[in-house]
Amino acid sequence: MSDARILDRGYRRFEGERSGLRGSVRSLAWHTARSILGLGRKARYKIVPVFIIVIAFLPAIAFLGLAILIGDMLQGELRPEYWELSRFPLAVFATLLFTAFVTPEAIVRDRRDGMYALYLSTPLTKVSYLGAKVLAVICTMSLVVLAPSVFFLLGFTFQSQGPDGLLGWLGVMGRLVGGGLGVCIVYSAVSLGASSLTDRRAFATIAVILMMMGAFTAVALLVELAGMNDNIRLLDPLRLALEIPPRLFGDRSPDFEGVSTWSVALGNIGWTFVGAGTVAVRYRKLAAV
Amino acid sequence: MQFGAQRVLDALDVEVPHGITGLVGANGAGKTTFMSLVLGLRPPTAGSVDVLGFDPQHDGAQLRALLGYGPEHHIMPDEMPASDFVKHLAEVRGMPRSEARGRASDALWLVGLGEERFRALGTMSTGQRQRVKLAQAIAADPRLILLDEPTDGLDPVQRDEMLALIRQISAEYRIDVLLSSHLLEEVERICDNVVALDAGRLVAQGPLSLLVGDDGGVIVDLVDVPDRPGAAARVVELLGGRGFDVRHDGGAGTRIEVIGRDPDAIADAVRDAVVSADARVGRIVRRRRRLEDLFQGAER
Repeated sequence: MSDARILDRGYRRFEGERSGLRGSVRSLAWHTARSILGLGRKARYKIVPVFIIVIAFLPAIAFLGLAILIGDMLQGELRPEYWELSRFPLAVFATLLFTAFVTPEAIVRDRRDGMYALYLSTPLTKVSYLGAKVLAVICTMSLVVLAPSVFFLLGFTFQSQGPDGLLGWLGVMGRLVGGGLGVCIVYSAVSLGASSLTDRRAFATIAVILMMMGAFTAVALLVELAGMNDNIRLLDPLRLALEIPPRLFGDRSPDFEGVSTWSVALGNIGWTFVGAGTVAVRYRKLAAV
Repeated sequence: MQFGAQRVLDALDVEVPHGITGLVGANGAGKTTFMSLVLGLRPPTAGSVDVLGFDPQHDGAQLRALLGYGPEHHIMPDEMPASDFVKHLAEVRGMPRSEARGRASDALWLVGLGEERFRALGTMSTGQRQRVKLAQAIAADPRLILLDEPTDGLDPVQRDEMLALIRQISAEYRIDVLLSSHLLEEVERICDNVVALDAGRLVAQGPLSLLVGDDGGVIVDLVDVPDRPGAAARVVELLGGRGFDVRHDGGAGTRIEVIGRDPDAIADAVRDAVVSADARVGRIVRRRRRLEDLFQGAER
């Protein structure tokens, strides 16, 4: 006798356990991350994120390739520090592109296509909604900011050129992850702050670029031409966030030579609060229904 | 609720029983504000709200896990297939991932979009989008769904189908429905209960059967015949002479309302009076209370 049964399909009551607020946040964060990366969407939505991620990995791939080809000869001055990878112009360019072109997708789209009202009719609150969005943005931005450095470390480790000992290796990995997450948090806050002010992604992109590049240019002019104190660099979120990884490694980049680590930390916290505060003020007033 | 200097839903004391409840009122009456209070998206300036035993302000997440909501707007993520849209919202509403796909599919079949479920939302008609909104509202098996103008933008046939669907969902699956509409006729057709709002104030609430229906008596429309002047006045006089409460706008008016509880006696009296007065009857209908009478009463 066969075990086959005809199952009655059709709408029915659900008697199982619901996943609760945690499940809602997880689901929204996952959906947002996929949406940011263009997954499950038409090919044209994948082009920009994939292009940016490829650019971000290029320095790590290049140095790993060299390490594989010339082995131990890639040492000393030739080989960058682990934290330096995120400061290469190509990596900075990729991070800026991601912050300006891809990240706004996380929240702008929901307000435009009516999903925001629907989300707030679920167990999500404004805070948990924004929490899920921040989580998604930080995770996806990590692919551009953090993943290349981790890939770099793993590559050198497999080439037997990594840090000495397990503790040393874990220390480097921990600082890389901490530094990368720090950069992601600051950039996410700035980008989401700008994105919260408009329902048009293009405007958000322009706002992020203007703010990042505008502050960068203005600060560079003030320091280089007007000879102002290095502390003025705290007003440049683009470079200031990238100063987090070297400080975690007990180092400092030439531009921030005269800026104390406390100032760097407080500056980054300040920019994070500015971005997060802008989002908070905007969403506090934003009616869902 | 206080919005700056404006106060809406003032001194509102409403109890919504099981079944389908129509939240009726003109645009700006406070229907959407009422829904946002139920969803816990706005705190009441004063007073309290209790929905399914939860305080929406303090237990909002728990409460909303048991609610479904279909917004008024038709804006949706255009490129997303309907099944992904419904599945995603079912997950966010607390369905385990393993269940969400199947339930999304079942909900879309129930609303008549089984074959269309993989189509992108942007390619769907207004009628199909309204069905998708209903499907996402029920996919996570709510105890109560809030539907904001669910027939907006539908043609008469689509409207009938949507109302029948809502009725079916409530009757077969015991899901309570709070339906906001400014179309009184459709509320009269499917609702068990009514909450009527006007300019932020409660006009009436209660079972539909008590608020609308037979009002006792008939309305007689006489045909205005030029060579029989005064026929209507004569009919009024004869009916009044037999002790009936008769309303007539006087003069050359041809509409007469005869108020009473015994329909047979009224019918006989009207027949006799019309014959005696040599009047001509255009139509005779029962006097009925309609929802719009509630609003006209409030205006008076």
